[in-house]
Amino acid sequence: MTESTIFTIAFALYALSLVVYFAALFARREKWAGSAFVLAVLGFLAHTAALILRTLTSGHAPFTNMFESLSFLSWAVVLALIVFGRTSRVPRLGPYLMLIVVALVALASSPLMPKSATPLVPALQSYWLWLHVSVTLLGEAFFAVAFIASLLYLAADAEEKRTRLDALAYRAVAVGFPLFTLGGLVFGMIWAYRAWGRYWAWDPKEVWSLITWFVFALYLHTRIVMGWKGRRSALIAIIGFLAALFTYFGVNYLLAGLHSYA
Amino acid sequence: MRAIWRFLSSVKLAIVLIIILTTASIVGTLIPQGRSLAEYSARYGSLSGLFVALRLTRLYQSAWFLALLLLFAANTIVCTVSRFGPKWRRAFRSAFDAEAKAVLSLRSSCRFRLSLPLAAAGERVRTELKRRHYLLSESAGDNRAFIEARKRRLGWFGSDVVHIGLLVILAGGFTSGLAGRRSELALSDGQMADVPRASFSVRLDKFETEYYPQGGVKDWKSTVTVIERGAAVLTRTIEVNRPLTYRGVSFYQQGYGWNWDLARLVLEIRKPGQSAFSRAVTLKAGERAAVDDPDVTRIAVRRFVPDFVIGEGGQVQSRSEEPNNPAALVEAWKGEERVFSSWIFAKYPDFGQGHGAAGAAAPPEIAVVLKDYAAAAYSVLEAASDPGAVLIWIGCALITLGLFVAFYWPPREIRIVLEDSQGRVELAAGGQASKSRDAFQAEFDAIFERIRRPA
Repeated sequence: MTESTIFTIAFALYALSLVVYFAALFARREKWAGSAFVLAVLGFLAHTAALILRTLTSGHAPFTNMFESLSFLSWAVVLALIVFGRTSRVPRLGPYLMLIVVALVALASSPLMPKSATPLVPALQSYWLWLHVSVTLLGEAFFAVAFIASLLYLAADAEEKRTRLDALAYRAVAVGFPLFTLGGLVFGMIWAYRAWGRYWAWDPKEVWSLITWFVFALYLHTRIVMGWKGRRSALIAIIGFLAALFTYFGVNYLLAGLHSYA
Repeated sequence: MRAIWRFLSSVKLAIVLIIILTTASIVGTLIPQGRSLAEYSARYGSLSGLFVALRLTRLYQSAWFLALLLLFAANTIVCTVSRFGPKWRRAFRSAFDAEAKAVLSLRSSCRFRLSLPLAAAGERVRTELKRRHYLLSESAGDNRAFIEARKRRLGWFGSDVVHIGLLVILAGGFTSGLAGRRSELALSDGQMADVPRASFSVRLDKFETEYYPQGGVKDWKSTVTVIERGAAVLTRTIEVNRPLTYRGVSFYQQGYGWNWDLARLVLEIRKPGQSAFSRAVTLKAGERAAVDDPDVTRIAVRRFVPDFVIGEGGQVQSRSEEPNNPAALVEAWKGEERVFSSWIFAKYPDFGQGHGAAGAAAPPEIAVVLKDYAAAAYSVLEAASDPGAVLIWIGCALITLGLFVAFYWPPREIRIVLEDSQGRVELAAGGQASKSRDAFQAEFDAIFERIRRPA
């Protein structure tokens, strides 16, 4: 089986998982949600196989163009679902996270995205490509969990649900923030220093990851030191994820800079 | 002085500063930085003057942005210092003395009786907590014992380590800005250059570009030799992502180019009427050469561009330094009569042959083809010395360490009061964890279940 066939199978499993999740939600069948989770895990395994196969055939890390990095990001979001899905006791987390996953995979599969693995330009030939991109996207996947939990918080009515969603958002930020800092900022600076001879050039993508970092730093300080919770925290987490999203997509298309390849 | 300290120790100030810095950073990505005045006035019209005056066009280097960063640093220092004392006491204070009520008000708590004398009960509690890797400090009152149990105490200081790391990074950034030096060295094969602000030179031995079989650049490699006091010290190949560092100066493969001004061109003269005729001439742009032929006596290359394009004003330009569309403006004469004048293109040999002498209706007597072009490639190396970089790496290590300690190593604290009442012991316990409270609650329950009913 080729890598693209396996990728399509993963996509199908994700889509199926999404449908079953929402069916469970609307029909109020908790057991179905369990099956949806299993489907997501199966899709995750297929997706993992596709990523490994792609790495073996291309000989480089599977995140060097938009298709590859979208594929990896969606993989990381499913991983975050596996980490938090069973313990968070938030039945809506699964369906909405899978909605993000399916949207990302659909975007990756759209004909606009070049899919072929192209040879790497000299600047990308570095093992820092692995470390920088994978850890950053992993961090962003946990920000996606915080984003969904915060949106659900704003929509929730019962106090008990809200408490759980607020705690889930905080836990997701607490996992994602160190990863994002390490992958996005620290590894990014080290690689930039090796490749370009400067660790920080105020390139738009660098500035936007700093902005994302600032927003989540704000989230943590208002929460831990000033005791903010609930609605205000949720709003900051939502802004933070949108900033991360803009760093990832928007900067490439709207602002010119050094990161023109990814 | 006290007012300043109070102002700087406020977390609200930190939050306001983070918001201002974020907003400023966004503005700096919306307005392209460090462009020419002409570009700004074309883009923003009358607003451009205001932007330049407010330094929005070199925002990240502007005095006001740097002042905000310094204020942010002062704020971070004062916040960290002023909160450090209480935190230290909390983590390392040796004894406590509290009523059972205070202990029970902690987030996790329990109370029960043990049918044991005080000493035995204390021993059982001690054993169980030590088994769970808690560090104990104890004190005793009359008929009472207090046990303070803590583990992962480092976790309390994770945020302080992050703050120190942030300050070290800011210091590194300022050091780089003030003391960092960088300069470009453009070298052809065999060429030597003194490294600015250093006591040695570098010589480029060989520059090569490697291509993938399917096209596209795979790598640029510059083999250089460091020469100090006339002697070759070391020879190393520099690639993208593989700089060379010698005596504090790092050399990066930054770019490349060709000396197109000195390009050696091979022209082939043909005669449309005589298919067997062919004459090759080698010359450089700006040169002319005599040709030994009755129909063409002289030929000259007026200009050469590697990447031909017609600019907005209608004039010929080179779009890039890459040889994507090499073209030469060639003229040829027969005696005093000009018989050929046209741009010719290496990749489109039939294009441009239509007109012979300017405006002449007659078919041209000769055709000229740009057969070959070659220019020496040169390598652009960046020589950089950045004394701030080492601070950046120390700061990065501290931030990473601090964050992982703060979020993945949360401290746990349990306080126990044992009170002797007629041969039995009243136990009251309370505990808290700064993070992962569910996991702590589970551990807390397990600990006291075993103390109550040992297996």
